[in-house]
Amino acid sequence: MAIRRKPQLRPRKSGYLFVAPYVALLVVVGIYPVGYAANLALTSFTAHFAGLTNFINSYHDYQFVPAFENIGKFLAIWLTALVVLVVGLSLVLHSLNRRVSAAFRFVFYLPAALAGSASVMLWLFVLQPGDSPWNFILRWLGYKTLGDSLAPGNLPVIFALIAFWTGAGSWIVVMHGALATIPEDLLEAAKLDGAGWWRTAVHVKLPLIQRWIAYMLIGAFAAGTQLFVEPQLVSEATAAASNQTWSPNQLAVFLSFHLDNFNYAAAISIDLLVVALICAAVILMRTGLFKVGH
Amino acid sequence: MRPLNISLRFDVSVTPQPWTLASGLRRLVLWAVLAVVAVFFAVPIVWLLLETTRAGQTGPDSQVGAPLAFGSLHQLVQNWQVLFSGLVGQIGTWLANSALYSGSGVLIAVGLGVPAGYGLATFDFFGRRLLLFATMIAMLIPSTALVLPLVLEAHSLGMLSSPLAVILPYGFFPFGVYIAYLYFNTPRVFGLLAAARSDGCNEWQAFRHVALPLSTPILGLVVVLDFIASWTNYFLPWGMYLAFGCAGSAGTTIACQTTRYPVTLGVAQQLMAGAPAPFAIPQPASVTLQSLQMQTNAPASVEALLILVSVAPVIVVLVIAQRWIASGRLQGIFV
Repeated sequence: MAIRRKPQLRPRKSGYLFVAPYVALLVVVGIYPVGYAANLALTSFTAHFAGLTNFINSYHDYQFVPAFENIGKFLAIWLTALVVLVVGLSLVLHSLNRRVSAAFRFVFYLPAALAGSASVMLWLFVLQPGDSPWNFILRWLGYKTLGDSLAPGNLPVIFALIAFWTGAGSWIVVMHGALATIPEDLLEAAKLDGAGWWRTAVHVKLPLIQRWIAYMLIGAFAAGTQLFVEPQLVSEATAAASNQTWSPNQLAVFLSFHLDNFNYAAAISIDLLVVALICAAVILMRTGLFKVGH
Repeated sequence: MRPLNISLRFDVSVTPQPWTLASGLRRLVLWAVLAVVAVFFAVPIVWLLLETTRAGQTGPDSQVGAPLAFGSLHQLVQNWQVLFSGLVGQIGTWLANSALYSGSGVLIAVGLGVPAGYGLATFDFFGRRLLLFATMIAMLIPSTALVLPLVLEAHSLGMLSSPLAVILPYGFFPFGVYIAYLYFNTPRVFGLLAAARSDGCNEWQAFRHVALPLSTPILGLVVVLDFIASWTNYFLPWGMYLAFGCAGSAGTTIACQTTRYPVTLGVAQQLMAGAPAPFAIPQPASVTLQSLQMQTNAPASVEALLILVSVAPVIVVLVIAQRWIASGRLQGIFV
């Protein structure tokens, strides 16, 4: 990423006036809280410098590794679904008639309106045998109560399903935007060279949108490690103790308000923040999607 | 003088592939896959809409009709009356709270973000590159990554349960700053600004009378995106108002201020009747979970209507902005 300084830019101090309010907010809700959390993570209960003790001790908490294993399973399913289905569906939609493609995109995108807690609650109904529209599938799986559907082994799949249901449409729209930038001539040339649907998709379109696929995967990975709403609402619905610390973010919250251990909680939140920062830096430096300047 | 336009085009007609069994099968498979995926995405929403028109069940296995059947409009009106009868939590208050928090957040995001993007695009000042870099990093990390640090900060400042504890983070929308920056950072805008200045505009007048009127498209974009993100946020208000908000100092529990909940939080707490209070001793894994039940024991149809009403403003905004979001033009900003 190159930030070029352009000659037209006016070397005026009045620029500060335009950015100052935003910078103040950036400090209050971005930089200061991160600094505060980092400071907590590096100090002991008695407010003395503790080095990495909190990081090491929180790692040795018996709930730490399982939480990251849960997230790992969830991410494996979710990212696979994203890369296979979002890319596949976008390529299929791109070769359809414009109106049909737009209609499908709208259907895929609509669940985004229920992002967050609403989609989890809706899915809890959908997973509840009896009144569920997927009753026949739930019966076939032998589930009789919501508790059966929410068996611990099912949770990574269920969270991946919910995340895919609410988020895939937005990514399909992003991929569509990327595919729309491919010049017509190039596709015509491929056609003239005798490339069929499959070869055009794999050898022409796919290489041209691979930066977007990388962006989607890294971004989804970073967001997925932060998983909170889905396991939290399921834990509230099931009142199962094991679900209260299902994801690392839940564990961090649990440690701080149940055990009053703000230092461990801060250490875990810094762990996750470092993952997010690395992902953001990789997207910024390596994909070349976010350019500065014209 | 008009530029001379000569188009050289070789029209080679590509004859359509002859219809064969293989290509027919391929099409069939393709449409079948699309249909299955569309059903996967649409059915939960269709179910939600239909459920609100039915009498609904109150317990497990007391099924009323097929899951995907239409009830009656009369029943919908009845469910609506039950929902707003005051029995089902404080839905009116929560909706008003969400409107206040998201609305204020959007105002801050626009009011601070657009001038900041303008400042970054048109002035050169010490720290400009650093600010731009920080903005892009902040825009690319998931907003959930900042929730716990924000909650810890609010806890230390005694700001938990304060409306500002959610409004200020909602107002921080670095993506909007980046969009504004890209929008103003074009030769066209630079030319117009230069003209305005040579006509005697000072910096403020150039922004107010030239840049701002030009920025209406991005104003809409920032409003829509920040509004949706704020309205659907659950983790941040959960931390501020519930998990920590009900905690007094030194682990004592004080009453949760349910009247300050945004609608996401209120509705979820209303629906999760089996939920342990944040400070309850964890119970053993529940084996008796039969179905979701509201604290008022209302039928599932009222619960469905509750979910639908809680996201109605987002649906309205999405449908209005649909053409423009689904067109992918929004993403075209980066390319």
